[in-house]
Amino acid sequence: MTIIPVPSQGKVPKRRRALNGESFLQALPWLAPAIILILVVVVFPAGYMIFNSLRKISQAGLDKGWAVPGKKDPDWGIFSNFGHIFTDPNLPRILWNSLVWVVVVVTLTVIISLVLAQFLSKPFPGRRLVRMAVVIPWAASVVMTTTVFYYSLDPNYGPFNLLLERFGLVGGEGIGFTKDPALALGAAMVVAVFVSLPFTIYTLLAGVQSVPADTIEAAKMDGAGRLRTYFSVILPQLRGSLAVAVLINIINVFNNLPILRVMTGDLPGYESDTLLPYIFKVMQDDQRIDWASALSVLNFAVVAVIVVIYVRVVKPLKEV
Amino acid sequence: MAFLAVEDQATKGRVIGRMVIGLIIALVFLIPYVVMFLGSVKTKEEILSYDSQFLPRDGWQWQNYTEMWSTPETPLPFNMASTIIISVAATLLVLLVAMPAAYYTARFRFPGRMAFMALVILTQMLQPAILTTGLFKEMLLFNLADTWLAMILINAAFNLAFATWMMHSFFAAVPKEVDEAAQLDGAGKFRTLFKVNLPLVWPGIVTAVIFTFVSAWNEFAASLVILSTAENQPLSVALTKFIGQYATSWQFVFAVSIVSIIPVVILFFFIEKRLIGGLTAGSVK
Amino acid sequence: MMKKTWRTSALAIGAIGAMALSSCGFSGGSGGSSSSGAAGGSSSGAAGGESVSLNMLVPTYSDTKTSVDGVGTKARWEKIVADFQAKNPSIKITLQVESWENLETVLKTKIQGNQAPDIYNGGAISGFVADDLLAKADEITSPETLANFQDTFNDNEKVGGTQYGLPLIASARALFYNKALLKEAGVEVPKTWDELLTAAKAVKGKTGNPGYGMPLGSEEAQAEAMIWSLGAGGGFGTESEITVDTPQNLEAFNEMKKFIDAGVTQSNPGSTQRTPMMSGFVQGKMGFVYALPPTVAQIKKENPKLDYGIAQPATKDGSAVTLGVADRLASFSKDQAKKDAVKKFMDYFFSDDVYLGFVKGESFLPTTKSGATAMSSDETLKPFLELLPSAKFYPTTNPAWAATDGALKSLTGQIEKSPAADVLKQIQAKADAAS
Repeated sequence: MTIIPVPSQGKVPKRRRALNGESFLQALPWLAPAIILILVVVVFPAGYMIFNSLRKISQAGLDKGWAVPGKKDPDWGIFSNFGHIFTDPNLPRILWNSLVWVVVVVTLTVIISLVLAQFLSKPFPGRRLVRMAVVIPWAASVVMTTTVFYYSLDPNYGPFNLLLERFGLVGGEGIGFTKDPALALGAAMVVAVFVSLPFTIYTLLAGVQSVPADTIEAAKMDGAGRLRTYFSVILPQLRGSLAVAVLINIINVFNNLPILRVMTGDLPGYESDTLLPYIFKVMQDDQRIDWASALSVLNFAVVAVIVVIYVRVVKPLKEV
Repeated sequence: MAFLAVEDQATKGRVIGRMVIGLIIALVFLIPYVVMFLGSVKTKEEILSYDSQFLPRDGWQWQNYTEMWSTPETPLPFNMASTIIISVAATLLVLLVAMPAAYYTARFRFPGRMAFMALVILTQMLQPAILTTGLFKEMLLFNLADTWLAMILINAAFNLAFATWMMHSFFAAVPKEVDEAAQLDGAGKFRTLFKVNLPLVWPGIVTAVIFTFVSAWNEFAASLVILSTAENQPLSVALTKFIGQYATSWQFVFAVSIVSIIPVVILFFFIEKRLIGGLTAGSVK
Repeated sequence: MMKKTWRTSALAIGAIGAMALSSCGFSGGSGGSSSSGAAGGSSSGAAGGESVSLNMLVPTYSDTKTSVDGVGTKARWEKIVADFQAKNPSIKITLQVESWENLETVLKTKIQGNQAPDIYNGGAISGFVADDLLAKADEITSPETLANFQDTFNDNEKVGGTQYGLPLIASARALFYNKALLKEAGVEVPKTWDELLTAAKAVKGKTGNPGYGMPLGSEEAQAEAMIWSLGAGGGFGTESEITVDTPQNLEAFNEMKKFIDAGVTQSNPGSTQRTPMMSGFVQGKMGFVYALPPTVAQIKKENPKLDYGIAQPATKDGSAVTLGVADRLASFSKDQAKKDAVKKFMDYFFSDDVYLGFVKGESFLPTTKSGATAMSSDETLKPFLELLPSAKFYPTTNPAWAATDGALKSLTGQIEKSPAADVLKQIQAKADAAS
């Protein structure tokens, strides 16, 4: 039972909380385990992916030397795999889909999560049970959650279409939610938001719990209303966890594979693909591991650019 | 209902309103899993029936839950054990590795700090699903193919980023006076971290633990290629064994999915109260 | 309180350490699926022979609940492997069973890691031949076993005149029709496209059920496309050339469009997967579908009351032709000892008793001459065995087939909305890029 001095928070936002004057060598023992784990596990496969993107790889997966341009591809030397993917007529559509996918899913997720996190921080009988219910989509595997949605939306035997039928909204045959590009992409977005919510809510809830009660008290004493208290006191305190939650969501939503593979997997063509499902189509349908590797490098570069812009703008590492 | 007094001006009506909203939220989050559960107690034929009903039409097939443990398709008790071992170990490893780094980067400024945080977030940006071949070759090189340790390392490495960044943001929010006070008392950096800071950042740790545990629990792509012995494979891979060329035993797929949710919910049940730790008006538990 | 937490953590960390030391994992297991375990100089002391370990990678055809005899693919292989090992104690086979969906991913990763299986069951193998990865058929079977395969199947396994794969099981597609719906609609069993269209229209009009089930989703669009192409005298090419964009195929694809536009198919044919659609036919909700022998077993299991018939596929002019598919066994073994061990296994497996048990259990057609004779009296398989002589196969021996197959799967469904000519051009372009 330690009693710690709590300074009057919120009034002195400029206070630096980091201490100065340490050298990298002093820091090393604290960072070394993480650095070693990354070097040992992640560096090799990442390097292998980049290497593969510059090679010609046979259907069976064997390395056939440096990349050579295909019959209709521009000659970019060892970057010929990139020459192919950058002249791929499907690419603009797929990048656009990826962008729309990330922006819509992350925005909806964050807005809904902010509301629900605030709600779940209020005391009421049964709150613990509600919190437990909210965590379940997180506990379940994304593939299985998506599969259940896919199953529920089936026009012939899906429970959701059965529900619509009971309400007299559809006739004998249900709506083919997963059979139409726009509907399927919309349904995939709903699923993506649904599975991203628990993580985001809990990250924010952890932040809300850390907001000192006395700052809220102080705001109330000053006569601030609920909304103003929220926007002027609580939201700024959530900045740290919100920044991390958004960052991780951007990356995970961008890199999501199972949701789109299941929800839009029935559709012919590439109209509703984002980068990752497209990479798998190139790898498994076109049997081109080299092109898929080049696309994977592109995928990584795109995420990296988004993250750099995000970090520059939001500065999640800056102390309050 | 002592806590009702804690909340300012919480009228009875407002509390009931919250309970109703809470119930609606809970239902929305539960419905897909109710569908999953109802599927798990139907017969295979009924699941794909055009004349489907919400509730099992041909009787509740509870035996799906007993039969699934001993099908020849997959040794499910082993799969469950493998999943637990891999996820628990990966989570502990992440905590062990991420916590010191998060604390130090939040507390001290030093050259290379930003580079380190960037390196960490890079691991999150790579999708293990597109790295599986490289990971497999690597684990062959280490002679770790088809072992739990391979998957423990992989899961830990790819989930390090969130844990580090999340805990970093919580450590950063702890006023430095806390550290200074501890150091005045003669505490070293380790003692300062464990005795003084840790109790203040429980919510962040809990979030990091759940995040890591859950993603290790459900990891599929790397496990599929690295673990080849059926007994070593986690539940996520075991599920696919019920998918045949022209017919799938959906009742088992759903039942296994339901069962695999339970341990995560239990873990959550035990650590959820830690979320209500952290900085509260001047004192710490 | 905190002390307790830290004690638990310390224990757990200790546990990780212990596991790390023992290089963890369950090894060993039931039946034939035990881990290969002891590498290197193990001498499990089979008198005379040196011990050989083989890795085997096979897909799941059926499971306990879906196979006709209640055994399932994995248990079936486990028993075969165990019986074989009992007879050949110096050979140890490690069996790995994966779903069809994951099979190729696992295989290709193994190939890149230099761990390719000694016994493999799968689809097209011409891509592996191109990289000289496979053992030749005569290295992994005795001449007697090889000579017992039916010639058409053997020919279908030859790349550049050399045979690599061993035909494992076969299927032929036939037109399944719902007798009750046909009676209600007052139509006869059709033989030509025009008759099929008329009949499907009548079924749709009089019973409200889809007249014809057309699954052009990614699951098996290539099969549906091939049946229709064959009906117009087309096909997808030969060992040396992939020909998708041809006048015959255009005619076939346009005919499919005609069915779609006439509204006699189920909704969204372009994105309908085969398996769920077939379950509609089994439940009596569809007039006609193309199906194969396992469907007979499925009907027997799931809806034995269904009153249905089996006929030859409808074609443009009514002549008999159908799509035949054979899956194969192949070996990536390099050294002689392993090839010899594989040969022993193949000869054992393709002996009539063992082989017929497998084929019947999985409800497919046999590829061996003696097997065909033994099963010729089987009433349920009769219609398929009769169709088999007129069966045409995918050009699986062409190295570009795998990519063509992928393109057919992912692009054919577009004909629901786009002109057939454009779709064929796109698929041809993918095939050309791969060859």
